[in-house]
Amino acid sequence: MNITINNENSMTAKTKSKKNLLEVKHLKTYYPVKGGFFRRTIGHVKAVDNVSFEIRKGETFGLVGESGCGKSTTGRTILRLLSPTEGQIIFDGNDITNLSGNKLREARKDFQMVFQDPYASLNPMQMVGDIIGEPIKNFYPGKQKKEIKEEVMDLIFRVGLPSDAYYKYAHEFSGGQRQRIGIARALALKPKLIVADEPVSALDVSVQSQVLNLLKELQDEFDLTYLFIAHDLSVVKHMSDRIGVMYLGNLIEVADKHSIYDEPLHPYTQALISAIPEPDPDRKKERIVLQGDVPSPSNPPSGCPFHTRCPMAKEACSEIKPKLKEVKPDHRVACILYD
Amino acid sequence: MEALTEKNTNQTPSKPPKNMSPWAIARRKFVRNKLAMTSSVFLLIVMIASFLAPYITTVDISRVNLGQMSLPPSSEHWLGTDKSGRDVFVRLLYGGRVSLLVGLACTFLIVVFGTIVGSIAGYFGGVVDSVLMRFTDFILNFPFLVFVIVLNAILFGHLSGVWVLIVVISVLGWGGVARLVRSKILSEKENEYILAAISIGCRPSKVIIKHLLPNVLSTIIVQATILFATMIVAESGLSYLGFGVPTEVPSWGNMLSTSRDPDVMQNMPWTWIPPAIVLTLTILSINFIGEGIKDALNPKSYR
Ligand SMILES: Nc1ncnc2c1ncn2[C@@H]1O[C@H](COP(=O)(O)OP(=O)(O)O)[C@@H](O)[C@H]1O
Ligand SMILES: [Mg+2]
Repeated sequence: MNITINNENSMTAKTKSKKNLLEVKHLKTYYPVKGGFFRRTIGHVKAVDNVSFEIRKGETFGLVGESGCGKSTTGRTILRLLSPTEGQIIFDGNDITNLSGNKLREARKDFQMVFQDPYASLNPMQMVGDIIGEPIKNFYPGKQKKEIKEEVMDLIFRVGLPSDAYYKYAHEFSGGQRQRIGIARALALKPKLIVADEPVSALDVSVQSQVLNLLKELQDEFDLTYLFIAHDLSVVKHMSDRIGVMYLGNLIEVADKHSIYDEPLHPYTQALISAIPEPDPDRKKERIVLQGDVPSPSNPPSGCPFHTRCPMAKEACSEIKPKLKEVKPDHRVACILYD
Repeated sequence: MEALTEKNTNQTPSKPPKNMSPWAIARRKFVRNKLAMTSSVFLLIVMIASFLAPYITTVDISRVNLGQMSLPPSSEHWLGTDKSGRDVFVRLLYGGRVSLLVGLACTFLIVVFGTIVGSIAGYFGGVVDSVLMRFTDFILNFPFLVFVIVLNAILFGHLSGVWVLIVVISVLGWGGVARLVRSKILSEKENEYILAAISIGCRPSKVIIKHLLPNVLSTIIVQATILFATMIVAESGLSYLGFGVPTEVPSWGNMLSTSRDPDVMQNMPWTWIPPAIVLTLTILSINFIGEGIKDALNPKSYR
């Protein structure tokens, strides 16, 4: 017993000592809603509404939450594919929140994305060789064609595509292979951070683990840090070191994987965990079924975003919006119960 | 065994062949479309005959031959002569030159300008989009005929007559293409491969030219064929009304306009029926080609 605790402590210490690759501070990303005769902005979809977390070098940070809670928007904003409404994004010590033009373009070398949709994320008019080689051409315009082709062939080989893939088009491949093409493209610039936005959710279950394993292998080989987005807790568990749980644009709990699974603090996280099918019947826990629907992000409830469905909601929950606080070492939660 | 594989491949013609670009697949489908291919051949013959007219015939088209006025078709004048004694067949060829030139040049200018405006508005959105689209609306709502008459008068003498018409039509004609391209770009840019292109360091110009335009090009090409037919009709209509190509220049529209004379209409059908037929067939074949291209580029149809 003692030993386990010691072990855990030392592990926490180890991960804590690692430097942060990414720091996200009070990030908000709103989509304007246009309407009326003059197409003026008449409101906002608060897709990301106050999200703060950090990702340490070499780790995989899992971001989970129901569909529509703002995971993709968070990932895209971090990579500056969208502009944040408020907040700060610090990547490898540099503030990239307000970069634009060529400076932003130059910064993109270090962070890439693997997309959710294996069909929509590859240009149907490009050959696979061109898709994978294009990032290299963009950033190293002086590079010889032959050299680029060699690099692309290495990548094709590394992600497990057939060697004749170079001259083929995306429509000739299956979903899993297309995802490999997308991974090779993201890898081409040897980035430090890869945001993987539900990279396997569109794939057959039989193919999912192959792609996940590939991502894990590549992480060791290329010293990658991942932001791994998923709506499926079991996939996140398999992949992540630390996990953040999102609800309606808010990050409500952040902790290392084991704390999230073994002692979830936030009632929403508890409900999510209870919904995972438990293979061992002896350990069967009671399933917490949430009432009601997720409110609209264009008109979120006052106070705690979860109070409309929370089984433990008190009166104060509709008035005060709880802040994310550290309640245990390396375990933060945004809930009035832990104040 | 071999026969079996053979049979198998015959049974599944819908499977795209390996290693073919989307364009190559479309080309294959188009070539198998008989109506579209016949139309292409016809249009090609009309184009070649028209543009090679000066090399095919040695007759001076503008010379008035008082000795050979209003002759019906004969072995010497295949389609007869008109009231001024000019050979109708020769004028038909030269007329095709002008009508097709007006059609092609207008289509080209309109498509290029409309695509530039539409893709910039669609890609950048926001203020850029608003400004460009208000300007497009302004152009679209301009009284076309009034402008044609006024500009024709202003430019007359500065440019040769045919080019005045081309400039006028093109300046006023790009609005529809701009709107179409904009709406196509708006929906196409939602695809994740556009985010990917930005992420891997493509500049906006490259995102538009290399990623967006190839994927909306099919729509633009189909629209161009419709425009081509429309522009030929527009030339004929304007010339018929007397606001198009100067009357001394032969064009299909000008040849048709001679039928405004009741005497010609009734007694000299050989002067206006041939241009009417060629015009109709040309426009039909352009439309069939357009349909063929549309079909060939539709990934859900297989031939
Ligand atoms: N381009 C957009 N314009 C307006 N609203 C959007 C847009 N993209 C996403 N949203 C909305 O923002 C919210 C969060 O979306 P998203 O980040 O895609 O969620 P997730 O990835 O967790 O499923 C959703 O309510 C969605 O409808
Ligand atoms: Mg998503």
